[in-house]
Parts: sequence; C-alpha cells; structure tokens
Amino acid sequence: MSVIYVGVGEFAISNRPGEVVKTLGLGSCVAVIAQTPDARLVGLLHVALPESGINRRLAEERPGMFADTGIPQLLQEMRKRGWNSGPLQIKLAGGATIMDPNNTFNIGKRNLLAIRKVLWAFRLGAIAEDVGESISRTVWVNVGSGQVIVSSPGRGEWEL
Amino acid sequence: MGTVAGEERAERLVEAITRRVQDVPLLPSVVSRLLEVVGREDHSINDVVRLIENDLSLTTRVLKVANCAAFGRGQTITSLSRATLHLGEKMVIGIAIGSCSPQLFQRPLEGYGSAAGELWDHSLRTALATREVVRYAHHEVSSDLAFTAGLLHDVGKALISEFLEGQTGALVQSCREGHSGDFLAAEQMLLGTDHAEIGYALARRWSLPDPLCAALRDHHRPDLALDFRELVFGVHLGDLAAMLGGSGTGADTLAYKVETGYEEYLRLDKDDLDRILLIVQDEFRRTKASIFSELEAGR
Repeated sequence: MSVIYVGVGEFAISNRPGEVVKTLGLGSCVAVIAQTPDARLVGLLHVALPESGINRRLAEERPGMFADTGIPQLLQEMRKRGWNSGPLQIKLAGGATIMDPNNTFNIGKRNLLAIRKVLWAFRLGAIAEDVGESISRTVWVNVGSGQVIVSSPGRGEWEL
Repeated sequence: MGTVAGEERAERLVEAITRRVQDVPLLPSVVSRLLEVVGREDHSINDVVRLIENDLSLTTRVLKVANCAAFGRGQTITSLSRATLHLGEKMVIGIAIGSCSPQLFQRPLEGYGSAAGELWDHSLRTALATREVVRYAHHEVSSDLAFTAGLLHDVGKALISEFLEGQTGALVQSCREGHSGDFLAAEQMLLGTDHAEIGYALARRWSLPDPLCAALRDHHRPDLALDFRELVFGVHLGDLAAMLGGSGTGADTLAYKVETGYEEYLRLDKDDLDRILLIVQDEFRRTKASIFSELEAGR
C-alpha cells in the first residue's frame, strides 16, 4: 500500500485506488479532504493559517499554507486531474483550540471560519467534521473506498 | 482524600523518579559552562568560541554543520569563530545540547505515546518559537537564553515517561473529563510529581543558571515564577505555539491552558502569532533537515 504524506502547507491529489493520502500532527492546522462521490479522485490539503495577506510572497510560493489561497489551488488542480465541477464531498479535520480569553491563540477557530467561508464561495460545504477540542490529530484517506480515518495519541482512531 | 497506602505509594514513586534524576550523567563541562555563559546577559560570542575551541569533539561538530549543505555558502569554513558567527550562537548551543544528550532527547516517550525523536522536534520548535515570542516582551530578554530555555523545557518528560506507561489513556481521559485541570495536574495526581518539577530537579543537578531552572519548573504555570517572568512566559507561549503548529510529545499535546496573565509581560496579537508560526515552520524545516541529520550521521 503506497502512502502519500502531505506536509504543512502542501496538498496531494490521487486517483490510484488503494493509495492512502495522509497528514500528520494537525494542531490548529486543518486538513481539507475533497473527494468525488465515487472516491476515485481524492485531494487533501494541509492548511496552516487563515489569511494569505500576512505573507504574500509565501502565499505565491506555497499557496497551501493559507485557507484563502490553498483551497482555490486544490480545486484547480483537481480539475486538471479530471474533476468536472460536479459534486464534491468535503471533510474537515483539525483546527484544535487552546482556551484563550484574549483570542490570540484561537488559531484553530480562525482557520475553520476562513475555510468554511472559502468553501462557501465555491458553493461547497463539509459533510463531516472532526474539529476543535485541545487534541492533536493525524488523518488519512483511502482512495477508492473514500474512508477517512482520524487518530490521536492516547485516544485511538476513528472513522470520519 | 488520599489514603495512607496511597500516600506511601506516591512517596515511593517520587523517590524512584528522583533516583532517575541522580542517574542522569552530568553534562560535559564544556556544555554546562556554555549554558552558564549564555545565562549571563553581558556575554559575547567570543566567550562562546573560547569555550568550544577547548573541546575537539564539539569544535569538529560545529565546523561540520557550518559546512553542510543547508548552511554552507559554497565556501569551506575552517575557522571556529567564523563557523560560530555563520551559524549563530543559538545553533551552536543546539548542537552542544543535542550531541551530548541523545539518550534524553531522542528516546521514545512510551508513557506519552510519543515516538523516538518527537521530544527533540518539539524542543527545537519550542526553542525557535520562544526566541520569537520574547521579541514582544516588555523588557528585553536575551534571544540566546530564550532559545536555550525552549530547547530544555521538557527534558523532565524523558525521566518521567516510563512511570506513565500503561496509564496514558487514563491520563487523557482524566483531562478530557475535567478531573484534572490539565496534563500536568494529571501527572501530579498519578505520580505525586510532574515533568516540570523533575526537569527542574535535573536542571539543579546540572547546575544550570537560575533563569533556565525557572523556565523548566514554571513553564506551565508562569504566574507562579518568582523571577524571570518574561522568559518563563515566553517559554510558556513558545511551547503552546509549537503544539498549535503540530509538534508535541504525544498524548499531552495541547492538553494545557494558556496562562492569561501573559499580557503583563509580553504584548502580541493574533497576527504576530501567525507570523511566529510561519517563521518557526520555515526555520524548523531548514534546521532539522541540516543540523540534526548531520549530527545523527556523525554519531
């Protein structure tokens, strides 16, 4: 079984049945998983921050770092790989939070808000989410079955 | 309320963990003197060079890293002072600590459900984040001291981990259901001590400078620090930033709270924090890919 590892600010797309697309150690970062209903085309994006305005140069080099540049790029690349703009199933995992009344450290929450806003602009919305809480997550998706699994140290793994 | 048997068990556990601290080898004298020098505000890079040049093994490692692919600039560096200037004092300290303590930093932390190398990754990210965070302190904090404190802050986990084995799920459950305030409190409930206290005991055994001792002991409760609060709050926030960025040590990742009093010592907003996360991500990739793979290869 081949596994494609997706780093922070990166994305991967696969249409090889049986392949696994995986990203490790999501804290406040969010994995955006997009797949066609038959799960033959799967994309996974690892978003680190909400807005690209904070570093335009980096956004050009690695658009996947930010929600507002990463999601359009993921969808554009999926089109190149055969997505015909038909229905897409979106799942989200990550966006962990730490309680901070000053709101400075609530990056996970800000990431999720930005991601939902960008998805909405493409008339897309998540059908399942495993987000928030103060936990670290690893997530992977099986191309072909479309099964999405989330795991966290000390908590085991579960299907999303 | 605890029973007598329970209290006796806790005392035995604390004794056993304390014995582990005594079993840890003392730091090589060059490293402990290096940390002592870094702890002084008036030190210069020449003080660092003078210490390193008396240690052949460390000199070799510093030169090797300075000439490796990611840090080299296509020209061979043969002088230690140029290598130290080229890499920066913080990286030299990282090389010194990383190369003399692999048995502490590179081991898997079974009790935390953490794989080999994760403690070092988390420590390095915390060091980078703390160095950035203290730039926002109301009073100046040495960036070298901040980096070193971040690098060492969780060393107590290496000693306490085995005593948590088999209890990881219960500790996570305890945090999740709110029986303990955070993972540190869960460690206290189970063992009668925690990784911050044990890290502090080790820091004392190693005769580390007072600011580093304070950072190890109080990094989860910086409001309790008697002194060096800018530094201790810096490590506290640097640690959280590293965890938010996806680097922790297994089951306790993110299972801590932000101590909200930080605004009295540091002023940073959400854009500042976003920038810090980007810097840490970028520098970590560069550093991990070069320095520490180089050290691993040379071991």
